[in-house]
Amino acid sequence: MSSTTSTAPAKHKSISYAKWGYLFIAPFFIIYITCSLIPLLSTFYNSLFENYMDGLKQIGPNFVGLDNFVKLFTPRSDGRLEILNYTINTMVMWIMGAVPQVVFALLLAVIFTSERLKIKGQTFFKTVIYMPNLIMASAFAMLFFQIFSSVGPINQIITASGGDVFMFFDKEWSTRSIIAFINFLMWFGNTTILLMAGIMGIDQSLFEAASIDGATSTQVFFKITIPLLMPIIIYVVITALIGGLQMFDVPQIITAGSGRPNNTTKTLVMALNSYIGTSKNYGMAGAVSFVLFVITGILSFIVFRSTEPKKEGKKK
Amino acid sequence: MKKRIMAVLLAAASVVAVAGCSNSGSGSSNSTTTTAATAAADNGGAAAADTTAGGGDAAPAAAGSDEGNVFNIYAWNEEFKGFFEKYMPGYDAGAATLNGVPVKWTINPSDDGVYQDKLDAALQAQASASADDKVDMFLAEADYILKYTDSDYTMDISQIGLSQVDTEYTYTVQAASDSNGKIKGVSFQCCPSALIYRRSIAKEVIGSDDPADVQAALDSWDKYDAVAAKAKDLGYYMHASFAETYRVFSNNATSAWVTNGELTIPDVVDKWTEQAKSYYDKGYILDTLPGVWDDGKTAQMFADGKSMCFFGPAWYFNFCMGNAQDPDKGCYGDWAICEGPQAHFWGGTWILAATGTDNPSLVADVMRAFTENEEVCENLVKNEGQFSNNKTVNAKFANDPDFGNAFLGNQNDTAVFSEMTDNIVWANATIYDQLCNEKYQEFIKDYINGTVDKNTALANFYGYINEKYPAVVTP
Amino acid sequence: MDFVDKGNRTTLIISRVVSYIFLIFVTILSLFSFYLLIINATRSNAQLQAGFTLLPREHFLDNLVTAWNDTSIFFLPQGMLNSFIVAACTCILTSYFSAMTAYGICVYDFKGRNVAHKFIILIMMIPTQVSALGFVQLVNSLGLTNTYWPLIIPTIAAPATYFYMKQYIDSTLPLEIVEAARVDGSNEFRTYNFICLPILKPALAVQMIFAFVASWNNFFTPALILDKKELYTLPIMLSIVRSRINSQAGDMGEVYMIILLAIVPVVVVYLFLSKFIIGGVTLGSVKG
Repeated sequence: MSSTTSTAPAKHKSISYAKWGYLFIAPFFIIYITCSLIPLLSTFYNSLFENYMDGLKQIGPNFVGLDNFVKLFTPRSDGRLEILNYTINTMVMWIMGAVPQVVFALLLAVIFTSERLKIKGQTFFKTVIYMPNLIMASAFAMLFFQIFSSVGPINQIITASGGDVFMFFDKEWSTRSIIAFINFLMWFGNTTILLMAGIMGIDQSLFEAASIDGATSTQVFFKITIPLLMPIIIYVVITALIGGLQMFDVPQIITAGSGRPNNTTKTLVMALNSYIGTSKNYGMAGAVSFVLFVITGILSFIVFRSTEPKKEGKKK
Repeated sequence: MKKRIMAVLLAAASVVAVAGCSNSGSGSSNSTTTTAATAAADNGGAAAADTTAGGGDAAPAAAGSDEGNVFNIYAWNEEFKGFFEKYMPGYDAGAATLNGVPVKWTINPSDDGVYQDKLDAALQAQASASADDKVDMFLAEADYILKYTDSDYTMDISQIGLSQVDTEYTYTVQAASDSNGKIKGVSFQCCPSALIYRRSIAKEVIGSDDPADVQAALDSWDKYDAVAAKAKDLGYYMHASFAETYRVFSNNATSAWVTNGELTIPDVVDKWTEQAKSYYDKGYILDTLPGVWDDGKTAQMFADGKSMCFFGPAWYFNFCMGNAQDPDKGCYGDWAICEGPQAHFWGGTWILAATGTDNPSLVADVMRAFTENEEVCENLVKNEGQFSNNKTVNAKFANDPDFGNAFLGNQNDTAVFSEMTDNIVWANATIYDQLCNEKYQEFIKDYINGTVDKNTALANFYGYINEKYPAVVTP
Repeated sequence: MDFVDKGNRTTLIISRVVSYIFLIFVTILSLFSFYLLIINATRSNAQLQAGFTLLPREHFLDNLVTAWNDTSIFFLPQGMLNSFIVAACTCILTSYFSAMTAYGICVYDFKGRNVAHKFIILIMMIPTQVSALGFVQLVNSLGLTNTYWPLIIPTIAAPATYFYMKQYIDSTLPLEIVEAARVDGSNEFRTYNFICLPILKPALAVQMIFAFVASWNNFFTPALILDKKELYTLPIMLSIVRSRINSQAGDMGEVYMIILLAIVPVVVVYLFLSKFIIGGVTLGSVKG
């Protein structure tokens, strides 16, 4: 649908309004280049230097080539490569939260927009589901840390019913699940709003035509709704992915920055933060940033690759 | 009710304070900066003319003459601020001024190193900061004091007209000295750390709650182990947190965390690890393994707590035992202290003078007040439950048969702490101690509860230290 | 035929019931954190340490007074004002300029248009943290630490917001309107501001909410840029009060009160803007 509207007007344009185009996009690019691109490049430049504080003594900056990267990619004594470990942690916890997030959002969006169901009190439900997003991530993390702590309400219930205290934050799966759950809870409303706007934008006559042709609601969902929602879904996946890669506050607060148990909840940005804090290790932090950048690049390539062909198919 | 009135008064006071701030801030910020800058230049000139060797612009000036307009103090919590505002002679609480100079506190949390980050940034910008923004005085803890004393950012106290007084405890002076023995600050407290026990549990387990008997039963680690087994049989925990005894071991270290840039786990820390692991395996301690500051441990200080021993200095009563100190909570007075298996200290706060301060005489006044002024020190002991850094004052209370702490069943804690001070050792400090101590306890927990083997837990710890301290080489 | 209808009706009733159950479940899921936060804000530190309860207690005012008077974070109302200034500026700038960029790329045909679009898509996924180091150095070198400029100005370039606006303009803005405005002699800038922006209202509202909330709750950048108490935003204040908890000197009641106070303004802004979203969704369907 997007392709038709954007190609059509090209024909109408006879007078050159090109300079207006430049004028309209100029603020974005000026600000982007000064506030993001230059800092980005200087961050990468930093990664080639040894530059940190030892107590109150400044060490460097000394040019060291790729030493910081070598350090980052050297496995530790027991053979574990921590940067890979942090990447896996980030991805695992992101997927654990993002999958239910998108599933819930799709379900809700379908329920809200369904002509047949005619749900009452929609305004209330729509308003309420976004509200968790209004709470600070750190506040959520705190609250859940207390809920699941050894003396928290969950353990009060467990012990009251005769069980042993369960240490949620000493087990890999429970810590990861709680972190993923918080992310899910914070973001599913946001995703629902986006998808709802997308579904409402779909031509209703398509649904009518499909039901006249005898399509089941499942068929309508997978054959009409999903394909037409693709641009919004891509947006949702990408923003979720950005959020996922940036995952920091929740695991940082829940594990007090340690990434316990056994470094299974330590994310890339937590590592970045660890280098920047205390020793102002700009060299290593720059190297971690570069790795994060490369991972981002690979992931966005995959997302766009896996969604492009479908778009083309639709055009035909 | 009284509390409510106080709160309303405080509210009113803070509104006034804010109004004052915003006036001076927006109204004439430019003009104040310029006058302050010229004042600083004058100050520098005067000092240069004085040519006191290496004195910089910190030459002791006659009080009030060329001193700055704002007294800037950096701290990480409100503890000292409270004492300062109550007891500092010359402090006007209404106007928040000391000898007429407005006092400005900058308090940042110590977690994640925020306090040190902000303090370091301020110290590094000290030379270019306007006179009113210069750090005059700041506080530091035992775990990282060396980082500051061993730098040019702190001043030798002789430069501001102070000298060591023999009423101070030796280890507090050693801790405040740089590696060349120059004294850079003073402490307002002395922190011998005692074994704090629940009288009712001790009666059951040891057969007496008398400090002398309990001490006799627990004066070595072997005896401590034996009593732990007995406590377990009776359904009690020897101590609550697995890290409860950490400081007892670590602050008696025979080797440093980092020597010549290389990290090695001190023997004593390794010994503690063995103890924690075996206590966990044997069920002598809580199997939920709370840290020393965690809620799970705090809950053990309630009336229904099952833990016999805790370890801590005088500040521990106010700071950590809030619930037990509440007379309504049922275990008030059910506590007592003795020296325990090994003498040690824990924590402590030192006052340091920042190089470049424009209020050297005020800094000197504060340092004197909290170490030499007997009235101030007496108030700290009497009203705040502190153990002061003044031997004369402490001895006075230790020898007073009527002096006792109701919370400890009227035991004279000052007397116990006084006896312990001679055995405290200050040695093997490094600038990396804070994170090494804190994070070792955290990462080794995965080993103690059996999640990973010891080598993996250590590798996780080393990895963390590598991220935080690039200059340190780990095994 | 009848049979099929009946069957349909039963399935409809079943799916309706299931839908309502699901919606109620989701509502509980969404609101229970708020409930716990409110309850916790009415309890004293000692009560909080003693465990959770589901019933409110009597310390709401005490906590409010403590939070209000906490001088270690300067002055809470000032923090709320600071946060509001930054979030309001951010949400207006980011939605206005993102829409403008998207409009420029959708409406005008110029050389490099595709490259510009591809470039923005390319940079969209770069996390802010990646360039944070360089950004802080830049801010330092410009002498802009302890000002709000570094928090506000960069949000003019928000790739993800641009992407959303582009999708929305592509599917909702009939270019005939632009043409018609030109015929009427409207200046391009005027056309954008007074004719097209109103049509984009729902999308703008969505992105304004997102931007406001993101800025309001942002801890990362403000913590790097601000270290003057008078300038602190709410998340920094919260982190300061919260960090006292670990050393047992803190007051959990105060912490929850600050969290609660931090939520109130953002809920108000949300409820105000959400009207446009729900209105906007209907508008989208009319267009369809």
